[in-house]
Amino acid sequence: MALEDIPRLGCGRSIDRIWATIDRLPTAHEEHCEQCQTARTRLQRLGEATRLLCESDLHDPALKPRPGIENAIMDVARAEVRRGSSILLRSADSGTTEISEQALSSLIRVAAAAIPGVHSRRCRIEIRSATASPAGEDHPSGTTRTATNAGPRLIVNLWVAAAQGIVIPRTMEALRQEIGNALPAGVGIGAGTVNITVEDLYDV
Amino acid sequence: MGDHGPGFEPDLDEGSIVARAQDGDLEAFEHLVLAYQYKIFRLAYRMLNDHGEAEDIVQETLTTSWRGLAMLADVDAFGGWIYRLATNKCLDLLRKRSAHAVNCTQPEDMDTSPEACARAVPAGSDPAHEAEWSAEQDGLTAVLNTLPPAQRACWLLREMHGRSYAEIGVTLKISPTAVRGTLARARHEIAEGMSEWR
Amino acid sequence: MSEQPLQGSIITSQLIASIATRTTLETPGVLRLEPAIQGFLARLAPAALQNLRSPGSQHGTYRHNGVTATISDGTARVHLEIATDIAYTALQVAETVRQRVRESISHTGLTPGTIDVTIVAVEPHRGATML
Repeated sequence: MALEDIPRLGCGRSIDRIWATIDRLPTAHEEHCEQCQTARTRLQRLGEATRLLCESDLHDPALKPRPGIENAIMDVARAEVRRGSSILLRSADSGTTEISEQALSSLIRVAAAAIPGVHSRRCRIEIRSATASPAGEDHPSGTTRTATNAGPRLIVNLWVAAAQGIVIPRTMEALRQEIGNALPAGVGIGAGTVNITVEDLYDV
Repeated sequence: MGDHGPGFEPDLDEGSIVARAQDGDLEAFEHLVLAYQYKIFRLAYRMLNDHGEAEDIVQETLTTSWRGLAMLADVDAFGGWIYRLATNKCLDLLRKRSAHAVNCTQPEDMDTSPEACARAVPAGSDPAHEAEWSAEQDGLTAVLNTLPPAQRACWLLREMHGRSYAEIGVTLKISPTAVRGTLARARHEIAEGMSEWR
Repeated sequence: MSEQPLQGSIITSQLIASIATRTTLETPGVLRLEPAIQGFLARLAPAALQNLRSPGSQHGTYRHNGVTATISDGTARVHLEIATDIAYTALQVAETVRQRVRESISHTGLTPGTIDVTIVAVEPHRGATML
């Protein structure tokens, strides 16, 4: 479809052009052209009716879905949510303790929320679990050791958006420290490696 | 989760909320549902003129978005994607309607009578609001409903929802230039139609 | 509560689950029990799945809201899915829960088996003042 498809008045003016300049004073041509005047009046009426319809639709309580719709959507989401894999923290005869990847990432986000100018986004956690030999090179295969004293080693990969105008290296260092404190305090394990990627800036 | 989750940071940008929802954060997703359900409903209602069907579009669109979130590469594209899903679901439904009953393309059968339009105004709402509802708007909605579905979608997305030409073009599978042409014709036809209304 | 040991009477997996639930929720730092449905089902052996149809049997598995209790040969095993308060250290909370649940199981006369704990969320406590 080309611009020629835009309707034109008999005088040759395009509707598009009249619409674009509708808030301005009529041009010399428009002032004397009857077709332009009619089109201007009609488009002005349309513009006003559009504005009013927009406004009344926005505030019309009848133009909203019932609350049950939101519940139905969230029920589906809840039923299908992925919690990510579980990470083994501790293993002993009396039982194991695991933590879901999601629990770790939500803890990391709470920590990140304490740093001004940072919005945390995706979070991926890689793990060398407590049962896996924490340092394979020190313990050749066949070596047994109690897993309880071998803490899991985390590799936290966090993507963030940073506020416009902040000093990024200093802020990211503060974020890294906050996460480094939050994991031992909230979970009881070291943060291991924390990789932060600033993927976007947001307006303040 | 849900009711129990940690308090949401109030000034969070949408891209960050989308990224968290992609991670399976239900609270973030609920935030998106709250932000978009009314917008989608208003679009679907003006496309379909049916409260129940518009609700179905809201539910289907947001459920689809939950399932497809992981595939969304650009977190800042969520809004455009949601509008595209909703618009295409509306157009599909209208195609099904016209396939089932040829008469449905007649404006008379599309619930566009002044009474039907007036029904969109809530009875007993505040008088100032009702006074604002003018005959002009009756005319506008009635003529709007006589436009072909794609043209109507184009006009609604631009004029009622402020979406960009580029985004509307992707949604309707036409170029941004064609969007401009379609809009101009829609405005022309509605303006003409309104002048003949009553 | 009776001083008599409960051996000889019927201890069901449902009772064990209910005891474990109460003990867990009374442990400081536990916010709630929460079922992580998909993760849990993936871990269940097919045999255990069949037992789900006869909840509360003496030999079998009872699962409810984040607690799974299994009794076999006089031993009770429990799996718990908990959300913990961010003000506590989750690993320590899990350890305390494990000890307390073991203790309350031993009061029933059954032998406490493995008590597995999965931490599904670590969150600020609602109503707690955020600094």
